[in-house]
Amino acid sequence: MTSTHMDWHAEVARSLKLNGIDMVAYVPDEVTGDLLKLLENDPAVTMVSVTREEEGIAVLAGAHLGGKRGALILQGSGLGNAINALSSLAIASQIPLLLIISERGRLGEFNPAQVPLGRATPRILEALGIQAFSIGAGDDIGGIVDGGARLAFSSSLPVALMLSATGTGGKRPR
Amino acid sequence: MIRIDAIRALLQVLNSQPVLANLGTNTYDLFAAGDRPENFYMWGAMGSVSSVGLGLALARPDLRVIVLDGDGSLLMNLGSLATISTLRPANLVHIVLDNRIYETTGGQATHTAKGVNLAAIARGAGLSQVREVRDLPSFANAAEAALREAGPWFIVASVEPTASTARIPRRPVYDKDRFMNSIG
Repeated sequence: MTSTHMDWHAEVARSLKLNGIDMVAYVPDEVTGDLLKLLENDPAVTMVSVTREEEGIAVLAGAHLGGKRGALILQGSGLGNAINALSSLAIASQIPLLLIISERGRLGEFNPAQVPLGRATPRILEALGIQAFSIGAGDDIGGIVDGGARLAFSSSLPVALMLSATGTGGKRPR
Repeated sequence: MIRIDAIRALLQVLNSQPVLANLGTNTYDLFAAGDRPENFYMWGAMGSVSSVGLGLALARPDLRVIVLDGDGSLLMNLGSLATISTLRPANLVHIVLDNRIYETTGGQATHTAKGVNLAAIARGAGLSQVREVRDLPSFANAAEAALREAGPWFIVASVEPTASTARIPRRPVYDKDRFMNSIG
């Protein structure tokens, strides 16, 4: 199934729903804005707007302790804010969660300050042992989200889904 | 008030409520005061324990969730107070055992030693069930009220800087599984 910029939100939301994701932590962002709206409109999903991405990892760890399945929706820059909690809480305690990352500092980036972390992100994830899968234009979005969720919850570990600007349209300067 | 005495007093008024302790001396003293399956010990992610408690409180509104935080830890994650305030989980009890030092790194002063008031910050974040206690009877009273009345609660307990000598097994996965089994 291929997707346009318009409908990837619905495909991701549908696949999260099918995989029982019922708590979503996020830092608000216009690239993922329509996805967040779809999730907000689902009464089965608890939405937690966090002040910082590391806080989101911890909220989802608590949700896991309480039997819920979590996803964190963040910009790539926020991954840098989340590394200690990802490492010393989620990975160390084997807590599964999905990271849905709208890429920064990669294809189409307009802000040079975003580039160093964007360039380092694949190697950071690899060094942490976090499996990451790219979602871009023409990809089977539902299938990748579904597979990532299954992998996260079978392995009891974080899994990253990288939303490329080719699929999302990317962030525009304001 | 000595921290482990406060934790013992807390455990006395609890039944099977989960208790989450931040890394370092709160975890050591919670273990020493009474290891139980309903204890969740943090081994990393300094500052994050109140956020873990928030996630659990939202996931399990049937449970009264107790968080034992430290002043140094909370100062690393003050945004958590803002998030808790916006969501208002009635079943969350956030206790800060404020010893005004970073104990496990050698006793350096935290900003609460220089007048920073965590209770005022919590009120500023919009929390209303806020208590500041300095002695054991007041702490026990506040804890009992927090178990009985709707929260979210934020209790700052001023404790003496006392070194914990407890050493506990570091086994994050085992303890997590035990905790999850205990709360059902």
